[in-house]
Amino acid sequence: MSRKKSQKSKGSSSPAACSIPPAKENGKAGTETQSNGMAMSSRPSLSNSGEFYDIAFKVMLVGDSGVGKTCLLVRFKDGAFLAGSFISTVGIDFRNKVLNVDGVKVKLQIWDTAGQERFRSVTHAYYRDAHALLLLYDITNKTSFDNIQAWLTEIHEYAQKDVVIMLLGNKVDSTHERVVKIEDGERLAKEYGVPFMETSAKSGLNVELAFTAIAKELKHRSMKLPNEPKFKLHDYVKKEVKGSGCCKS
Amino acid sequence: MDTNNDTAKDRISRIDSYGFERPDGFDYASYEDFYSRYMTVLTRRAMKWSKMMQKSTAVEKGIKVKRYIRKGIPDEHRPHVWMMVSGAQAQMETNPGYYHSVLLEGQKNTKLVDAVVTDLNRTFPDNVKFRKNASPCLQLTLHNVLVAYGQHNKTVGYCQGMNFITGILILVTKDEEKAFWLLDALLGRILPDYYSPEMMGLKTDQEVLGVLVKMKIPAVAELIDRHDVMWTLLVSRWFICLFIDVLPIETVLRIWDCLFYEGSKILFRVALTLIKQYQAYILEAKNFPDVCDKFKDITKGKFVTECHLFMQRIFTEPGNLSKSTIERLREQRRAQLLSQE
Repeated sequence: MSRKKSQKSKGSSSPAACSIPPAKENGKAGTETQSNGMAMSSRPSLSNSGEFYDIAFKVMLVGDSGVGKTCLLVRFKDGAFLAGSFISTVGIDFRNKVLNVDGVKVKLQIWDTAGQERFRSVTHAYYRDAHALLLLYDITNKTSFDNIQAWLTEIHEYAQKDVVIMLLGNKVDSTHERVVKIEDGERLAKEYGVPFMETSAKSGLNVELAFTAIAKELKHRSMKLPNEPKFKLHDYVKKEVKGSGCCKS
Repeated sequence: MDTNNDTAKDRISRIDSYGFERPDGFDYASYEDFYSRYMTVLTRRAMKWSKMMQKSTAVEKGIKVKRYIRKGIPDEHRPHVWMMVSGAQAQMETNPGYYHSVLLEGQKNTKLVDAVVTDLNRTFPDNVKFRKNASPCLQLTLHNVLVAYGQHNKTVGYCQGMNFITGILILVTKDEEKAFWLLDALLGRILPDYYSPEMMGLKTDQEVLGVLVKMKIPAVAELIDRHDVMWTLLVSRWFICLFIDVLPIETVLRIWDCLFYEGSKILFRVALTLIKQYQAYILEAKNFPDVCDKFKDITKGKFVTECHLFMQRIFTEPGNLSKSTIERLREQRRAQLLSQE
């Protein structure tokens, strides 16, 4: 996994280059080369947390420092939000979660990154293997919203061409401190053709949905059955998204 | 065992002497066991140090001071010794009033202040002295030192990780200005350029560690290579945070004692000792995530908690590690990284 000089897959536009090697029972470490197809096997694999899965993808959380990337991840992973218990993320880290998507066990390996600009030279090396990127801003912080364009430029430079991107406006629970309107987020997302939703790591609003939608999209892309209707990520998000309880429902 | 832990739990404070809450699942029984033995060491060292300091508080560099520091500086002398051996004391004395002027100046720098403020609530939330309602609230002290430093060293400004380092300096010195000059000693003289916008020193040292592991613990280097794991993923926090929040606090302070006296080479000694000690365990890793998990696990447990023994091991376990080797490797790696850009 992680990139290295030896892995010359830059030209490949296949999103299904799922490079998380499934652990093999009795598998001799070292024989696991990077499968360039999907990490799909007839036999379910065991993730390092001991949970079985059929297919695995790499998702990255990016966005300015303090927008709530780690909180969003912890909310999704553990269903918890402990105010004032988070420390600033230094460097890069990941956690796994296995989701059930239409009967298929999808493992998301979710990478959490430091948001501060100087850490990007350390973290953008990881963009290339990412199947999806969740790009966050903080609705109470205008600068974090203004920086989204710069983030997208960076993503387009380092990530695979067909990486799945989703824009998230986080902290909608902080109604009174809101400075970025939902319409602004929608407009920006439309401009770049990426799905969008507002989330709250604190209340949990749309957190599960954001990751589920990504997992569904990736699963459909990599194991599309001949007669299966195409999965439309934008439509799915529009249908399932929940409002923060003020103007939209 | 459980009852043992319960009674130990009754005897040992839920909050340590630095203000950190002990985490859930903290092993009180083995900590008590360790600490009762460590107390003897501390008492002995305190006597030795008092005797030395009575003669002179100058802490001049030399074989005896070096040996004393490797065996641990007692809490009461730690701020003074750090200030003396790092040159921070001399800087503070030759620049009276500088800290306050640079702090005033820095407070006008909105971008810097914003970056610092973002991390205030996210620095040691598990330490009671850093809570918003604490009195005195060390968040304010932290804010001041970071703003002043960012103004003083404009190239570095504020880099995440500095918040934790400064936090520890404040907890140890209990003095804003001294914390500032110690931070200046660390970032300006002792450490390579870990925190500058290009983070070149960090990238270099991660690679240097990779080379050292290849030389001294080749099986682990081979494993990491085989699973295509980048060193930065495993050890960037070790370097950036100088082992804060990676190793137990007592161990961190013992490492820093040597860091201030002997320089950044000590970080490689610590890293190599951890990897070598747990070589067999690391080699059990079957895949990429396994490797990452193992590197997290090896920073916990008895081996790292027993700080006195651990500090003895770091000077024997990795074997010979000369300053010139480190310098040569740093030069090589840096040149290579620069040519790749």
